[in-house]
Amino acid sequence: MNYKLCPIVKNNTEPKAVNRFNDDGSVSSIPFDPANTDYQQYLKWLEEGNTPEPADE
Amino acid sequence: MSQADNLAALGSNVNASGVLQPASGGTGVTTSTGTGSVVLSSGATLTNATINGAVASGFTLKNRIINGDMVISQRGTSFSSLGSQTYTLDRWVCDRFGGAATATVTQSSTAPTGFINSLLYTVGTGAATGATDYSNARQYIEGLNVADLGWGTASAKTVTLSFWVRSSVTGTYGVAFTNNGYDRNYIASYTISSANTWEQKTITIAGDTSGTWLTTNGTGIRVIWDLGVGSTYSGAAGSWGSTYAIFGLTGGVKLTVTSGATFYVTGVQLEQGSQATSFEWIPYGLEFDLCRRYCEVYSNPNLNYDQDGFPQAIQAVDVGGRGETLITYYPKRASPTITTLNNNLFWQNMANTGSTCTFAGTYVGTGIIAAPVFLTVSGACAVGALSGVGSLIFTNVANKIIISAEL
Repeated sequence: MNYKLCPIVKNNTEPKAVNRFNDDGSVSSIPFDPANTDYQQYLKWLEEGNTPEPADE
Repeated sequence: MSQADNLAALGSNVNASGVLQPASGGTGVTTSTGTGSVVLSSGATLTNATINGAVASGFTLKNRIINGDMVISQRGTSFSSLGSQTYTLDRWVCDRFGGAATATVTQSSTAPTGFINSLLYTVGTGAATGATDYSNARQYIEGLNVADLGWGTASAKTVTLSFWVRSSVTGTYGVAFTNNGYDRNYIASYTISSANTWEQKTITIAGDTSGTWLTTNGTGIRVIWDLGVGSTYSGAAGSWGSTYAIFGLTGGVKLTVTSGATFYVTGVQLEQGSQATSFEWIPYGLEFDLCRRYCEVYSNPNLNYDQDGFPQAIQAVDVGGRGETLITYYPKRASPTITTLNNNLFWQNMANTGSTCTFAGTYVGTGIIAAPVFLTVSGACAVGALSGVGSLIFTNVANKIIISAEL
């Protein structure tokens, strides 16, 4: 499992989501919403010292 | 001799007409020492009555468990290689974490009378349960749906959990109630007496008057069936505790020890009060909508056709830039996670200029309704094919887009 920041898209000035590349080959796009449980897991992953891949330009 | 004694002296039958009226200033008529039932004759009615703490006529939507009869399963009907926090049937999460045991979950058509489905947890290879291993089936109930229970306050209400269960392994099992912070927990036990036989279990617990129980869109109450929770996370049954992360029964059956063991559960109902009432049947469509607050799955079976006769599952609207906006049907509990599986979808625009593209969901806004979900193209795609209004087409049954706001 790995994370990569989503690109900045129209009308935004910074990433609003991060993509999680799952072990089964699927990709999950996770919004930066504190109520989203996948985002909560992402924050724990960051707390463990991990860093996501940067977004594509 | 009191009036009550006078009534008792009349014998087994009392024939009366008119009004049975509590004494002036009284609080009602009770069967304070009796254990028998008050039975109404056929055709008798209760008017303005309260039963189990609720107005009798208000017994709809009493069940705090969603999809307790296991009929909705958008993600599929079979889930192999369970890991930690595997979403299975709608609203049901199953774990198989740590150790060497393996397990699968299936939406089964084996069910007790009155039901058509159950959740089946099957152990593949059984193995000893390590101290920090955990295997279970659980549902997290949103705080907004249990706010009235008043847990964490002096007026916390009693609840009753009822469910049908069938297992190949007999013995005493555990089921846990925990709060969002895992620092309040109650372990209840129940016994499966006969192997491979449906039995209905009823558990009543007093509401917790301590701790923090969310009444928001976060997790209000966790209900967790212990199928192999290790000693680190297990405790004794029968009282509220505050030890962190206790959700298994010490000494209880650990199903995952036994290769090939099976555990079916259905007809799950959590309701206010000290009595288990009959399972609440609600229309399939309504139950589906309740599930959609937490998850929607778009896949090949959802195909319909656009005005050009092309099959489509999702109407997408070009918003310029790098992607298409995906419209969801139902507001979500929170901003959802978008997962794409086998995501080679065909984009057909209104000019019939189409191309197979690789899409990934990207959430670009905040909010819980539709529009902010964004599908971006990450693979090669014909230039110009994405212009204009068009449709996404699923090209095989493995194509799926899962929109999840699960707890």
